[in-house]
Amino acid sequence: MSETTSKTEGGKTKRFLGRMHVRTAKDLLLTLLHSVVWAFLFVLVSLVPMPYTMVSLIKLGLGPALAIIALAGAVRGPVAGFLSGYLGTVMYDLLVSGNVLYWTLPAVACGVSGLVVGLFTYDLSKGRSLAKLSVVALVGFLFSILLTAIIDLTIARFAVMLVVGLLLLPGLGVGIPSVILITPILARLWHSAVSLVSGRAPLTHVGAGEKRLP
Amino acid sequence: MFIRENKFFTAALVALIIFGALTFGNMPGPATQTGVVSVDGTVYNFSDYPALTQEQLGIFNYLDGLVTGQPYGSWEGWYAEDFASLLHYVLAFIMYATSLIFETTPGYRTTHYQDFSWSLLQKMNTSYGEYNITSIEYTEWINTPFPDYYYDADDPYNASNTDAVYTGGFRGPANIMWTGHYGLMEALHERNFNTGAAFEELSWFIRDWNNTLTTDGKGNQKDGGLWGIGLIPCEPYIAFVNCNSIPMFATYLYDNMYGTDYKGVWDFGLNFSNVVAQDEYGLFTDGYYVQQPLGYQQLPDGPQQPFPGNSIDRSVSGGPVRVSGYITAWALTFLEYIQPQETTNDYPLFLDVYGRDVSGDKFVVVENHRHPNAFGTFDILATLFTLPLSNQRGDLVTNQRIRNFIHGVFDKVWSSDGRAMWFDTMSLVPFLQAPLSTAWVWGTTPTYIRDFAEARPAAFWDQPYISAADDDRIWVYQAAWDEDKGAFILNIRVDQAASLTFSNFDSAPTAHVAGGSLGELTEAGPDYTLSLEPGLYQIVLR
Repeated sequence: MSETTSKTEGGKTKRFLGRMHVRTAKDLLLTLLHSVVWAFLFVLVSLVPMPYTMVSLIKLGLGPALAIIALAGAVRGPVAGFLSGYLGTVMYDLLVSGNVLYWTLPAVACGVSGLVVGLFTYDLSKGRSLAKLSVVALVGFLFSILLTAIIDLTIARFAVMLVVGLLLLPGLGVGIPSVILITPILARLWHSAVSLVSGRAPLTHVGAGEKRLP
Repeated sequence: MFIRENKFFTAALVALIIFGALTFGNMPGPATQTGVVSVDGTVYNFSDYPALTQEQLGIFNYLDGLVTGQPYGSWEGWYAEDFASLLHYVLAFIMYATSLIFETTPGYRTTHYQDFSWSLLQKMNTSYGEYNITSIEYTEWINTPFPDYYYDADDPYNASNTDAVYTGGFRGPANIMWTGHYGLMEALHERNFNTGAAFEELSWFIRDWNNTLTTDGKGNQKDGGLWGIGLIPCEPYIAFVNCNSIPMFATYLYDNMYGTDYKGVWDFGLNFSNVVAQDEYGLFTDGYYVQQPLGYQQLPDGPQQPFPGNSIDRSVSGGPVRVSGYITAWALTFLEYIQPQETTNDYPLFLDVYGRDVSGDKFVVVENHRHPNAFGTFDILATLFTLPLSNQRGDLVTNQRIRNFIHGVFDKVWSSDGRAMWFDTMSLVPFLQAPLSTAWVWGTTPTYIRDFAEARPAAFWDQPYISAADDDRIWVYQAAWDEDKGAFILNIRVDQAASLTFSNFDSAPTAHVAGGSLGELTEAGPDYTLSLEPGLYQIVLR
């Protein structure tokens, strides 16, 4: 009985680690490599000034860097998704301000969006799956920005007017269209690029024991 | 290929393109192009000279429309209905910010800049008798709750003692929040254009401050002057370091321009500011009461305001001294020339105490560090005042982060003719439009407030300069006489065929550009004219 339970639990752990893409040392290294590469991409893209327009207090525009975090999660799973957002934000903050803010808690919040996206599986060649990616990326982003707002209100102790009027509203106006529209486009382009280079379908993020997606 | 196969991808791509096109705007303005011109073996590298940007000049044109495009008592486009009592501050800070533009291109001194400067002075000096309720005298003084005040050092609680020294009046000694600014505006006008038109009135203010700061108001010498603190109250009963930093600066500039020695009258007040008017961090306080305001009510149970004494924060238990982010930033900026070590030491401390990291690329300065849960107009002011301070301190990281935060939530708008630019604040506080646009100039020019305290050398006025031009057809990014190399540096964009008149050249100069020459300038009486077709030019005239 206990042996069976142990085997079952062992299987669950393996599946969980597989889903995280950290089951073997090679998997772990590859996941870390993905995280660093995506984080660097996040920083590079964040440094490019992006256009926007204001509609009252709502800032409408595009922030491709947000889609990169989601893409990291879609391609390599939740650990890579989280770390790319976390490391990317820490590196970006260090680069532009010389500081790490509030014990890196805002970076944690940013990583959450990649983590959420990485919890699901996608077939990046199919429209239905790309649509699913859009929706999940939106959910991840909303978690992320709400967590950031909570950190701003409780840890940083910013005024409600500042957080809602000058941070949350502008953030939503840029973040929502970005993750909904740019994430699936980048994902599809990535899928095609990898297919083209490797001559086969990329190893899209799947759970352990699941069939590799074509 | 996948466009055909994947409808969602196609739909997302189309939606992205449409959304991107609809929201395209507010991109960083173009950097000013600089090049290298060699003339007879001498190399002129335009990046060695200070330059203005298209956006800074666009904002100047916007402000010009508010100032010279309408009667002195008109406030159309200022959106000041609820902020009329602040208009004189905006006028003053516009003068300081645009003086940075004049300073960056000192060889461009046509009526375009000079008329603007003079109109700004006139707008600041509108009297109630002539302009009624649209005058600055009304909005700044008559329409305020400050009735006539009298001061007796032995009885500072009694402001109604008519036997004491009268300290009320719009142009009186106790209205430093207008006289200080107006005096510095006059001093800057003279420094920038050397017309002599403001000299007499400016001299009157300097003598009045001298009298106020060194005597008891009845002709007897007294340390610390009338109020005994070496500072002049804004309202007749309370003195602020930042307000006094303006006449201090004006006095130093006056001395430097005219060879006088009045600046010592501020020594007592400077020491008082650095020793007494200080909070627990060693930063300036938000006001020092020299006497009890008429009708003042002490709280029955709360902390008691001492008279005289630093203003206390009655909303905090224990009643610590009142503090202010905008006052501190303002004072540190204007006092840097006079006491550079204080500003150098206090600047990082100020950022630590009042600054808040909003994100890696955004920074805000709060008005009161004891009330972090409040955010309003004065927090925006504190942030805006830190913009020129950070620029002046060479802290370009903080400067950029502040602009990301405060200017990053407003649209840049260009006029239909492409000549004027401003930040559209209509959705938040329309009145902020001129201040926010002004702050952009103030916080981004390559010249600083502290540079103004030095007078121009006498030889400056004999150097070649642009005395007339088709100003509304050109953008002058760089215009300066290089004394060492004996040449005039001109970086200009011409929208329509335009001519520029140069004065003070001894003989006809030749206009040199990279790889060639535009020929000799045309003689026009004692001056010389340069005609240019539309285009971008980096020209060396010699």
